[in-house]
Amino acid sequence: MTGKQKKQITRALQTALILIAIIIMLVPILWIFMAAFKSHVDVYQLKLFFTPTFENFGLVFDAPYYLGEKLVNSTIVAFVTVVLAVPIATMAAYSFSRFRLRGETAMLVIILATQFVPAVVIILPFFVMFRDVGLLDTRLGLILVNLAIVMPFAIWMIKGFIDGIPLDTEEAAMVDGSSRVQVIRNIVLPMAAPGLLTAGIFCFIIAWNEFLFALILTNKDAVTLPIGLALFKAEEGDLWNLLSAAGIIIMLPMFVLALIIRKYFVQGMTMGAVR
Amino acid sequence: MRDTTLKYVLVLPAILVVFATAIWPLIESLRLSFTVGRLNRPGSLDQYLGWENFTWAFTQEPAFWNSVWVTAVYTVLTVALTTILALGLAMLLAPGGKFRSGVQTLLILPFAMSPALIGVSFRFMFNPEFGLFDAFFGVMIPPLADVSWLADPVLAFAVCVMADVWGWIPFLTLVLIGGLASIPQDTIEAAQVDGASGWRVFKDVTLPQLAPVLAVVIILKSIFSLKTFDQIFMLTNGGPGTATQTLSHYIYFNGMKYGQIGYAASVAWLMVIPMIFLTYAYAKFVFRKD
Repeated sequence: MTGKQKKQITRALQTALILIAIIIMLVPILWIFMAAFKSHVDVYQLKLFFTPTFENFGLVFDAPYYLGEKLVNSTIVAFVTVVLAVPIATMAAYSFSRFRLRGETAMLVIILATQFVPAVVIILPFFVMFRDVGLLDTRLGLILVNLAIVMPFAIWMIKGFIDGIPLDTEEAAMVDGSSRVQVIRNIVLPMAAPGLLTAGIFCFIIAWNEFLFALILTNKDAVTLPIGLALFKAEEGDLWNLLSAAGIIIMLPMFVLALIIRKYFVQGMTMGAVR
Repeated sequence: MRDTTLKYVLVLPAILVVFATAIWPLIESLRLSFTVGRLNRPGSLDQYLGWENFTWAFTQEPAFWNSVWVTAVYTVLTVALTTILALGLAMLLAPGGKFRSGVQTLLILPFAMSPALIGVSFRFMFNPEFGLFDAFFGVMIPPLADVSWLADPVLAFAVCVMADVWGWIPFLTLVLIGGLASIPQDTIEAAQVDGASGWRVFKDVTLPQLAPVLAVVIILKSIFSLKTFDQIFMLTNGGPGTATQTLSHYIYFNGMKYGQIGYAASVAWLMVIPMIFLTYAYAKFVFRKD
């Protein structure tokens, strides 16, 4: 075998392996997409070809499922979590990035560490407290605990973006007599805006997909979409066509958001440990 | 406001939030772990019990040791499989070009899926009557043709591992592609010019230079594997029996279903201990350049 042939075989093999990987990766997702458009008869068979129907998307919003309420809850909870987290995180991130603070490393390590505390540890005391003050099954309660998982990501991610903004424009404005607050408002925020948007989207995805907190804290009024999935268990088994339609409603918006920030996804998840 | 004051004012809200949502519950969990702590018994949350919750877990609860064992095996398997497969895929995709970049973009999708939904999806795929993976494995490995995956303790565990690996490979692959891209190309070329085989180049040149990124990936994945809950809850709910009951699931069940919140808190704190070591290792990598 010549070297050239050998190279061609290697390349073909590599392409084949990549294709297999894509198929394995996409098949579970595509299968849900197909099931969502199948009638309840077709979904209980291994059918590749079927007459598509939109009825599942109507059914999930009707009684007894009312997925619309869960959609509203998920949207409000994730949105308010982000609106609270991003400004607070931005202020802290700017300070960590531009100043030397007493105990700065300790603070940053603690913020990093809180990300790794198992959610189940955090939620036990919150459950007791919320039961006492009447915050169980409310969106407000859910928003408060969501801040626990979103804040560390937001601070670290935004700090990374601000670290990347050169100092000279800021310094020039200071020399010209601007105050620090003016500098932050007029120079830093506009330059960091894409980064803040990215961090906001990232946090939105995390809050939207959050499961354990919502499972424990909600049961009726504040139920979010991922918990809503449990509704589609009937006595005769899982209602797969409806589950799939609900699954699409949960994942499709996140797919769109994730693709918008795909360049920063890795950075966000590793908090700058991989550069 | 002077900078010397301002810099502390700016971090204050964030520190308060982190304290209220993470530090306080950690401390309060620790306190609860030393109490009788029954949800349905008022006052028991302040009733001091000493170390009894911990000794109970260690000596009287086979289910606790079962969940420790399940979590340990689950973590080792998912970390090893995800890392090896992601490294392979990253090597395949690293050269770039239109086709490979397109695939990299697709890799984002499974990662934006909520873990709970991944659990649902795999329960669907392994349904004995109309599950696609169930049918596929039945054709490829005939002895598995008639099994009911999620009813068998070992196979149900295998499905949980598969679902986890499926969900995490894309993210780890993307991280490793980034790591591979930062390796100076000339070191690899020099080795190739010297006539080293592809495997030797990988083992002696690529792998040592990728080691720091690999370490970060393994630590991060270990942390997430140890915490696993969502997928397990939706996929098997710990079953059949307790065959797939991870620590998080065990804590959830004892705390929320049985109302033994003091006992659950003590097991939860046992789980925090390995986390501290992993976080310490992780922090060392984050601060290595500063």
